[in-house]
Amino acid sequence: MIPFELLEPRTLPEALGMLADDDTAVRPIGGGTALMLMMKASVFVPRRLVSLRGLGEALGRIELDAEGALCLGGTATLAALEASDLVRAHAPVITRALPHLSNVRVRHVATVGGALAHADPHMDLPTILAALDARVRIAGPAGHRTLPVDELITGYYETALARNEIITGVTIPAASAGKAAYIKCTTRAADDWPALGVAVNLACSAGRIDAARVVIGAATDKPTRVSGAEAALRGATFSGSTLDHAVTEAVRDAVAREVAYTSDAQGSAAYKRQLARVHIVRTLTAALEG
Amino acid sequence: MDTKVSPDQVIDAQQVGRSVPRMEGAAKVTGRAEYIHNLRLPGVLHGKVFRSRIAHGRILSIDTSAARAVAGVHSVVTGEDIRRIIPEPYYGPAFHDQPILALDKVRYVGEPVAAVLAADPHVAEYAAGLITAEYEELPAVFNEVEAATSSICVHDELKPAITFPDLKHLKGKRNTNVALDYKLRRGDVSAAFASAAHVFEHEFHTQHIMHTPFEPFVALAEPLDDSVTIHSSSQMPAYVRLEIARLLGWPENKVRARTAYLGGGFGAKVYVKIEPLVVALALLARRPVKMSLTMEEQFYVIGKHATTFRIKSAITADGRIAARKCEVFWNGGAYADIGPRVSQKSGFTSTGPYQIECAEIDSAEIYTNLPPAGAFRGFGIPQLVWAYESHTDIIARALKIDPLEFRRRNILHDGQEHPTGTVMRDAEFDEVLVRIAARMGWDAPFDRGTGTKRRGRGIAIGVKASIAPTTSFALVNVSADGSAVLFCNTIDMGQASNTANAQLVAEVLGIPAERVKVTQADTDVTPFDMGTLGSRSMFHMGHAVRLAAEHARTQLEALCAEGGLTYTGEQSVAQAFRKKFGMQAGNIFGVGHYTSRYQPADPATGMSKEVTPFWMIGGTGIELEVDTETGHVTILRMVNVVDAGRAINPRVVETQISGAALMQLGQTMTEEMVFSSAGELTNPSLAYYKIPGIHDMPATIENEAVEAETRNGPFGSKGVGESGTFGVSPAIANAIDDAVGVRLYSLPLTPESIYRAICAARGEPLED
Ligand SMILES: Cc1cc2nc3c(=O)[nH]c(=O)nc-3n(C[C@H](O)[C@H](O)[C@H](O)COP(=O)(O)OP(=O)(O)OC[C@H]3O[C@@H](n4cnc5c(N)ncnc54)[C@H](O)[C@@H]3O)c2cc1C
Repeated sequence: MIPFELLEPRTLPEALGMLADDDTAVRPIGGGTALMLMMKASVFVPRRLVSLRGLGEALGRIELDAEGALCLGGTATLAALEASDLVRAHAPVITRALPHLSNVRVRHVATVGGALAHADPHMDLPTILAALDARVRIAGPAGHRTLPVDELITGYYETALARNEIITGVTIPAASAGKAAYIKCTTRAADDWPALGVAVNLACSAGRIDAARVVIGAATDKPTRVSGAEAALRGATFSGSTLDHAVTEAVRDAVAREVAYTSDAQGSAAYKRQLARVHIVRTLTAALEG
Repeated sequence: MDTKVSPDQVIDAQQVGRSVPRMEGAAKVTGRAEYIHNLRLPGVLHGKVFRSRIAHGRILSIDTSAARAVAGVHSVVTGEDIRRIIPEPYYGPAFHDQPILALDKVRYVGEPVAAVLAADPHVAEYAAGLITAEYEELPAVFNEVEAATSSICVHDELKPAITFPDLKHLKGKRNTNVALDYKLRRGDVSAAFASAAHVFEHEFHTQHIMHTPFEPFVALAEPLDDSVTIHSSSQMPAYVRLEIARLLGWPENKVRARTAYLGGGFGAKVYVKIEPLVVALALLARRPVKMSLTMEEQFYVIGKHATTFRIKSAITADGRIAARKCEVFWNGGAYADIGPRVSQKSGFTSTGPYQIECAEIDSAEIYTNLPPAGAFRGFGIPQLVWAYESHTDIIARALKIDPLEFRRRNILHDGQEHPTGTVMRDAEFDEVLVRIAARMGWDAPFDRGTGTKRRGRGIAIGVKASIAPTTSFALVNVSADGSAVLFCNTIDMGQASNTANAQLVAEVLGIPAERVKVTQADTDVTPFDMGTLGSRSMFHMGHAVRLAAEHARTQLEALCAEGGLTYTGEQSVAQAFRKKFGMQAGNIFGVGHYTSRYQPADPATGMSKEVTPFWMIGGTGIELEVDTETGHVTILRMVNVVDAGRAINPRVVETQISGAALMQLGQTMTEEMVFSSAGELTNPSLAYYKIPGIHDMPATIENEAVEAETRNGPFGSKGVGESGTFGVSPAIANAIDDAVGVRLYSLPLTPESIYRAICAARGEPLED
């Protein structure tokens, strides 16, 4: 590691002014948990890092907006999410997933912005947020814009962010708060980045699924919605936590057929497809059980 | 040392067999224990290494100019520079085959080619990244079975060190990758197979593993006027001194090697590793030089042998093993290190702990273009037990004999001859099996699960010989106030050897163990010891310490008698010293040494009447659950039972058993160094090389040392640092077979490999 510039801006405009559109060696740094690993491996050699820690007051909040949507600040730590009563009340699927996401040391520094901008496919939060229909709030030199989470991440370590943009937070619409569940599946040690993540979010009324979002992550280049599975679930009835056999089979089929699984050190594509077929049913059951 | 324990504590209180708390425990948990990793010296330069990116090639040129030009770089050193101070810069305990920095050829990806020195380690690291090398690439060989007969040779000529007589015949041999070919020939094996009721034959594999000590390799060399001091995280300071003195052509007393506590060793830190390079750099720079490898770099220093084991058994109609043929290929990597000793000393136990009249073993250490493999907790035994206990279980199941019953029918008993020709003594095999079965309720009905969750259970047992002959020396210094200091080179790397050795001194002197101080190894003051490896220390150093303490006690009793006093421990000694010297002055030195007995193997048969001074025995029982839809395994219960002789410190024995078993659990389920087809390690990081975490632990773990006594051991004890590893891997595979009826032949047992086996057994193999 050779010396580089570490800047600690106090305001968002100041931070934006320190970033550069045309220099890959200039980056914002949140918790640094991903960036430091890349720097240690010399995969990333920074010229300048712009720390977002000093923006915590403005960007670290977890709150409800005027429409009752849950807003997670871009520099809020994963540990803050885990402890938040608001998150527990409005998106308990996040609260339940967090204890299995990395470890307590990482969670205390890793941030919401970092978890989204890093775009390593082997992560949990993007998959969950995509199922919750969350939108990413982005600030740049030209002002503010928002993007759905599944449009932010465009591929393997690729996002729609410009180099001089900062994620200021994500917004989870109140309307999306259905019966949601997430299963993280690891294939090496129990404590690992996910080999597969399955998130479902079901809007239900009286024993019937009105709308469903089904997202597969980690086993794919980017969190991927499974429209065939969503269609099969729409209008399906359930009793307790059980769906019609025909519906489950259709969902399993769609998950196996529609999604492009990747082979890597965590398993072959064929094996991950099987894991997805199994875990989609388990995730649906968990969601319906509430 | 606990000074709160009063010196006038009753003598004759038992010190041996008492769970004395670890002497260094408080210092460690409060962050005050000394580690070489934390050592800082003024004027020190930090060394960083440039490594080969190809697996095999002739070095055409090394360009260090860009590195030299970096501001803050002191110097850049290549293999040729090292020749200026060490004309023959090759080291290694078995073969002098490893260059301090690559000369003429590189032989694996990650081999050190050049080193940069700078006062700032970050500058050194950056500069090392600017070095480039040109090679004439050579074809490489990675698989141990292929390499055994390949025309691609890792070394042009074999260069055995003089230390091991059984390697002499390999001197000057060319066109081979075989660095040791141990053979055992006992009885008429062909006849036994010809008349067998059943014959079983299987091939098993184990993967490359890294030790992952949490304190990576670190050494600091300090050149002095006409000598050198080496501060190193080493399991073998005496050998460090010997080998550095040999390389430099200096007398031993000009080389001082010292250690502190080790942040784990597990066999990685035996013999020399980075010490020759650090010494060479320090002598060239005439400045102290420190090298602290990163966790990632550790993967390129030393690992555990990957193996292929072909095993074949002849079984009689009444379920007895009449003959066994074992062919073991050990993937030694590019440099032999102590690998040939692993393939021989462990190789001769390849048939397992069974009564087998006719046996044939071929155990070969093979050079390949991969990182070197050497000693690793268990010294090769876990690889062997993995194969022979999986094989043994397959046989029992095929013959519809209960796996416990089949083992007990064939197990060795005291007085019977092991296939090597050594008669078993103080080896409680049957008792270990009996205790595992009792704890597991082997005869009771077992819940086999339902639906997609299937349960199974399995057992396995293994045996290990000690490394012999080896020598330990110890010195006990009693001061004029009666307090005692033990000087010995046994390295406490977490196994609580200092505490156990203090207990031995205390037992003999009749004082509380808490009152005995144990020094850290420093070859200027601590006497010779072969090294802390292979669970040899409790036995060998234990005897030396006992003898040194007895020698001290004899003199102390005489001193007391001279003053008309009766020896009653510290206070009587203090009085006696004052009487003799008129004040609190003087010392008594007690010295002791011990060499184990050993008879070299007959070169024709590989047999010996005395292959080991004692046998280590360990077995494991497993209950687990398999998710038949995903292949995920949950270990519900792990029972580890060993024969450790008489426990000097029962609590420490228990933690050694569980520590060893859990380490092996990781190697069974998750750990694997994965190489690309070009021999590049793809996962040299703890992020991707997965050691088990707390969530991978079995729901229940039980550990037991059976009632036993090693009659030739110090106070009935023997080594126990590795026994917990032996049975783990095959017990798990055997339980998986019991649960879902599939057999796995390669480690690690990943969920995918289990799921694939389940699919294949159904006749619906999963596509690749
Ligand atoms: C050992 C370990 C295990 C882990 N296990 C898991 C796991 O199981 N599941 C999981 O989901 N995660 C896991 N993580 C966390 C995950 O891999 C990332 O490290 C983490 O989410 C990154 O957050 P950060 O704030 O530290 O990002 P940083 O490291 O600071 O940054 C990561 C990237 O995001 C950019 N960035 C950061 N903040 C912003 C922002 N506000 N706007 C724009 N760009 C930004 C940076 O420039 C950089 O490119 C693990 C991490 C570690 C170290």
